[in-house]
Amino acid sequence: MKKTITLALLFSAFYSYGQVELEQALSTNTNGHEKVSATFKSTRLINGHTNETIHKNELDFKVDHRFGDIAGSNGGLRQFFGLDNSTDIRIGFEYGLSDKLTIGLARAKGATTVQQLYEGSLKYKLLEQTVDGHVPVAITLFGSNTIAAVRANREDPTSATAYENFGDRMNYVAQMIIARKFNSNFSFVLSPTYVHRNFTVFRDQNDLFAIGAGGRAKLSKRMALVIDYFLPFRNDEDKAYLEQVGNRKFYNPLGVGLEIETGGHVFHLNFTNATAIQEVQYITETTSSWTKGQYRWGFGISRRFTLGKE
Amino acid sequence: MKLFPVIILLTLCHQSLIAQNVLISNKAAVSFFSSTIVEDIEGKSAVGSSAIDAKTGDIIFKVPNTSFQFKKKLMQEHFNENYMESEKYPFSEFKGKLDRPIDLNSNGTYRANVVGKLTVHGVTKDYKTTADISVNNGTMTAKSVFKVKVADHNIKIPTLVFKNIAEIVEVRINALYQPKK
Repeated sequence: MKKTITLALLFSAFYSYGQVELEQALSTNTNGHEKVSATFKSTRLINGHTNETIHKNELDFKVDHRFGDIAGSNGGLRQFFGLDNSTDIRIGFEYGLSDKLTIGLARAKGATTVQQLYEGSLKYKLLEQTVDGHVPVAITLFGSNTIAAVRANREDPTSATAYENFGDRMNYVAQMIIARKFNSNFSFVLSPTYVHRNFTVFRDQNDLFAIGAGGRAKLSKRMALVIDYFLPFRNDEDKAYLEQVGNRKFYNPLGVGLEIETGGHVFHLNFTNATAIQEVQYITETTSSWTKGQYRWGFGISRRFTLGKE
Repeated sequence: MKLFPVIILLTLCHQSLIAQNVLISNKAAVSFFSSTIVEDIEGKSAVGSSAIDAKTGDIIFKVPNTSFQFKKKLMQEHFNENYMESEKYPFSEFKGKLDRPIDLNSNGTYRANVVGKLTVHGVTKDYKTTADISVNNGTMTAKSVFKVKVADHNIKIPTLVFKNIAEIVEVRINALYQPKK
């Protein structure tokens, strides 16, 4: 009897041993250099782009809004904390021609005197980060052309809209977006940017380099804190002239917001000192400051549709 | 002490027996299906891996969560990111036992009961299902269909998409096993 029990025990030991053996027999399929997905939830943080593009045959419809100053001389209760004024509104469509290439069309109000903006853009995923670290970062290229449709100012040749021909209305942005998802909760992006405006206000720079940085930290599975910042590298002489003669002091755009994702929708609730939504304006012409209460409430709503055959 | 040589013998035999009786499958098809009035969602993987001991009926099944393909790419992203949390829990796994051994030497088709533990999203649950097994010249195919209650595995569906995702999803498995070389 004792022997039988011992044997039984022995066999039960073998049973578990068998499982271990089976597990060793399993060759776990690794998908090669698997690509990191969902570095960010949306194609944008607050002001800046992320490395994300739209999947093939998907359409992203995005509405952005920036209101007036919350505090400071133009804010407060009188202006209902900025809600009475909207500094910029943008409606955009982006479509995935492939999983890597996105084409975009947008219309924005424009926050400076340069208004009625039409934007055409291309965004291409050049490099994707892999899970195993074989490729440590993702690189996406973004290029856009923004055309100002505002009526040309014939009276003042020094103004930003004293256009003489159609070419003067063109503005270009080229951006290299370098992103890394450090873990499922934290992603970071760095964006060297080049902005070219064919026409500007007198003594402003036609060419401007800037660097953008941003990040996303998840607060819960569907909510995240997003932040981004742009640092333009201005020419000191032109900057001094514009500050002293043009009475325009520039500040670097900083945005802080909350990102809420609900399966197909992404909502952004944010605060930023930038009045404009388009790169050509918020990078080059942010003249409002956080410290003066010139920050505003803004939101973005993005909705994805899957087109094409199911 | 008379037992000692027996143990040695058994251990040796067992080792060699296992090696002979283990069949493996590297490209097992695993799919799941969620159906609601609003939407049908299907995820398919073709890289499930499994090993089975024909003698004892022990079976183990493993599938990487990121290998599931969806018709809508955004869904795939949400599946990994919001529901399965694939970075935290990269695999779904089943460890169990068939209620009968499989005779690899004679061709035939039969149905076996399977009991075991399914681990999805880091939560392990006891499961009982059946598998249709057919043996053909030393190779074996196994098919099984069972239902998984999403909430059982601590996968939360937000109210906003509650109508789009079924509470109970059907899992289908189809694997071809070959002797381990």
